[in-house]
Amino acid sequence: MKAKFSKYLNDIALNLKEMIAELAKNYDYVSVLSTDSVGFNVRVSQRVKTIDGSNLTTERGNVIRVYKDGLYSEYSFNRFEGDAAAMAAKAKGVLDRQLAVLKETNSEIYNTPKLEDEKQELFVEMETGLLPEETDLSALVDKLQKLSDEGVALSDEVIDCICAGQSTHICKMFLTPNKDLRQSYVISEGFVYMIGDRDGNSNQAINGISDREGPEIFDRLGDLVEKSFKELQDNLGSDHVIPGEYEIITAPDVSGLIAHEAFGHGVEMDMFVKKRALGADYIDKRVGSDLVTMHEGATCVKDVSSFAFDDEGTLAGDVIEIDKGILKTGICDALAALRLGTKPTGNGKRENFEHKAYTRMTNTMFDKGTSTKEELIASVKKGYLLSGIESGMEDPKHWGIQCIIARGYEIIDGKLTGKVVSPVVLTGYVPDLLGSISMASNDYMSFGEGACGKGHKEWVKVSDGGPYLKAVARLG
Amino acid sequence: MTDKIIELLKSSGADAWEVTDTCTEGWEFYFIRHRLDQNRVRDVEHIEVIVHRKLDDGKFLGSASQEIAPTATEAEAKKIIDDLYQRASYVKNPYYELNKKSVEGVDENFDPQKMAKDFIEVMQQIPETSGEDINSYEIFAENCKRRYVNSEGIDVTVSYPSSTVEVVVNARNDEQEIELYRMYTAGTCDRENLVKEISDTLKYGKDRLVAKTTPSVGKAAVLFSTQDSVQIYKWIADKMMASMKYQGLSDWEIGKAICDDVKGDTFTVSAVKELTNSSKNFPVDAEGAEVRDMDIIKDNVPVSYWGSVQFRNYLGVEDSFIATNFKAEGGKLSESEIRTGTYLEPVEFSDFSVDIVTGEIAGEIRLAYWHEGDKVTPVCGGSVTGTLTELISDVKLSKELRQYDTCLVPSVIKIENVTIAGA
Repeated sequence: MKAKFSKYLNDIALNLKEMIAELAKNYDYVSVLSTDSVGFNVRVSQRVKTIDGSNLTTERGNVIRVYKDGLYSEYSFNRFEGDAAAMAAKAKGVLDRQLAVLKETNSEIYNTPKLEDEKQELFVEMETGLLPEETDLSALVDKLQKLSDEGVALSDEVIDCICAGQSTHICKMFLTPNKDLRQSYVISEGFVYMIGDRDGNSNQAINGISDREGPEIFDRLGDLVEKSFKELQDNLGSDHVIPGEYEIITAPDVSGLIAHEAFGHGVEMDMFVKKRALGADYIDKRVGSDLVTMHEGATCVKDVSSFAFDDEGTLAGDVIEIDKGILKTGICDALAALRLGTKPTGNGKRENFEHKAYTRMTNTMFDKGTSTKEELIASVKKGYLLSGIESGMEDPKHWGIQCIIARGYEIIDGKLTGKVVSPVVLTGYVPDLLGSISMASNDYMSFGEGACGKGHKEWVKVSDGGPYLKAVARLG
Repeated sequence: MTDKIIELLKSSGADAWEVTDTCTEGWEFYFIRHRLDQNRVRDVEHIEVIVHRKLDDGKFLGSASQEIAPTATEAEAKKIIDDLYQRASYVKNPYYELNKKSVEGVDENFDPQKMAKDFIEVMQQIPETSGEDINSYEIFAENCKRRYVNSEGIDVTVSYPSSTVEVVVNARNDEQEIELYRMYTAGTCDRENLVKEISDTLKYGKDRLVAKTTPSVGKAAVLFSTQDSVQIYKWIADKMMASMKYQGLSDWEIGKAICDDVKGDTFTVSAVKELTNSSKNFPVDAEGAEVRDMDIIKDNVPVSYWGSVQFRNYLGVEDSFIATNFKAEGGKLSESEIRTGTYLEPVEFSDFSVDIVTGEIAGEIRLAYWHEGDKVTPVCGGSVTGTLTELISDVKLSKELRQYDTCLVPSVIKIENVTIAGA
């Protein structure tokens, strides 16, 4: 079925257009992004259960962007007090008070050109199996409870098995004097999180699913219970890795984490404006081996960040960031594009209507290769197959990378030995790591659970992934 | 809208309910160098509703929550509440009671305009040179007001200021330019502290330019002297959260020491009602419980659980609350007495993480100082890893304390036998 566009947003569109017309009397550019996204978050464990109608991506509100004298200003609000003229006056009033503070402090403006406002209309209702607002949550709770019960029944070592699903019907409307863009789609994600204890030492394993689909994807969660249990057992029996440089095989989730941290954040072009990214100096230069081709964009794969237009009204795209090891371009929000004299790529995203738009990732994917996973393993003299992600951190200025990986399976002379190390901290210099990629499997998977921050804030949904990759890295 | 929602809840059939209405006026300024990139205002209200329903003759309590938009019509709000009443029957949790003790709030206004202006002026006063300067910064200044109402008669409002400054600094020489990242959160603008913090960061930047690669020393003592140390004390406090205990994620028990064979200092951590200029000085927590000073762990022995009323009820803990400010006591030695011998002092990680379940610590080193007696060498690269459950028996805590927003902690903590992977 089609994910039907929000009636609420349709109802307020006229009022917002009047507000835009009012503001246009004082500003040279005006836009409004309005959101009305509903959903749920259901979580079941042996000890506690929750149902929440809110999650990271549910929201209802508006953000006005105005431009005058080289400066962009924004006003985020979620109450309408008075008619369009009164609301426009309120927004202008408080923004003028901010300008007064800037004048008092002799602050200079980063002079930026004006955004184009060409005529454009778009109305997109994407396909979904189910809508979150029509989902039988009673049945979902029962389903998750059954999975949790199955999980804890596998061993006395399992302390709990937490099963969760969340889904959001996202509706966004972007208006300017000449643009009217409206989109509606559904994203869902779920996970199985198992916690265990052996001899007083606790450990955990987590596996998830995600898609730009409805809550019907939770039917696939059952496959993750056994997988999580096996990985929990692996972790409980693990040792610490002896720090050093090793041959590694990255499972697709770890490949995705590397893509995300290495040349996801590394080529967010608002960082180019601030001269915070080394990538700006490496366009058309080699940053990886011939096997490295990386895509970034809302249309390059179907997952939780596959939308029709971004939060600044730029249509979704698919950028080839790295082509056969050569860095070709970055990704760009609308204002950074103006400052750099380039085109936006559909990567202007906000945590929600209350937050500033930055250049953000959507889906970041390594291209697949031609080898099999087994061939990759067979080629390793001494190293680890790394799987399961815990966290990562970017360092675009220096191209350092930090990935905390749940576990590594030892490989000696081309064979898995059964020995497991956990957790594993992968660190290194990005071009060295990508330059060492010598094999890529023919698998291709994306992962959209979790959220991505910029610095230590601004959390948005992204996905990343690719194939199994063989490389060399420092592990600790 | 909130009063209308309360009326709807009273007639909904719910056995208990809660409403939290949070209003925020936030002023934001984003600078590149010292030029304004963008200015923003947030003028928002969030109304969170929880509906509770007794199930199976009161043996269980079902609960469901959702935000109701302030723009919702009465009909929309009623439908959401009716849906929550229905949904609450799907989740059977052991019965518990909401907070009901009468509490006093505090309702005053803080001016985000003044707060933001103070921050702009401070940032303009940071001493910069051609070699070390500020790349960019983001200023967030908020006046927040939170009203909590429940079916047990609590109707309390607390107001508080909250501010954050995110700063990126650069340092450069003829060969390279590097950056360091910091984020400072507090109540209002603390000019003196902010200038000191950013000035220190600029110095770190200068040192990073001449940093050598981190040596592969295997295991060594690591001294934490920055905000990263807060995560270690937070891990200790979080292990005593009622929800962690009830869900089996913490095996710490009241009266039983958290480790044996202690060779150094012990941990004493308490919840405190107020810390100077904390962004979370609330007299009442988010569920209407009174906040006070309370020991959590004393000399390595757990004393009190804290946290949500639901999980406190399950553990039989009545007189507690959701703590937001914490204090860790100092140890026997001064900072200068601890700063002896051979140790690594990381001052900038890519990200320093502490896993709440396993106690695993990990961080890639962006800048550290390798101390060998009087010889100090700036180093970078490599990582620090270890397991806190094994490491906390051999630590030294300085007598001196230092505050990072909501946490007052020893200015340095030295931990023995941490694994250091070289670059």
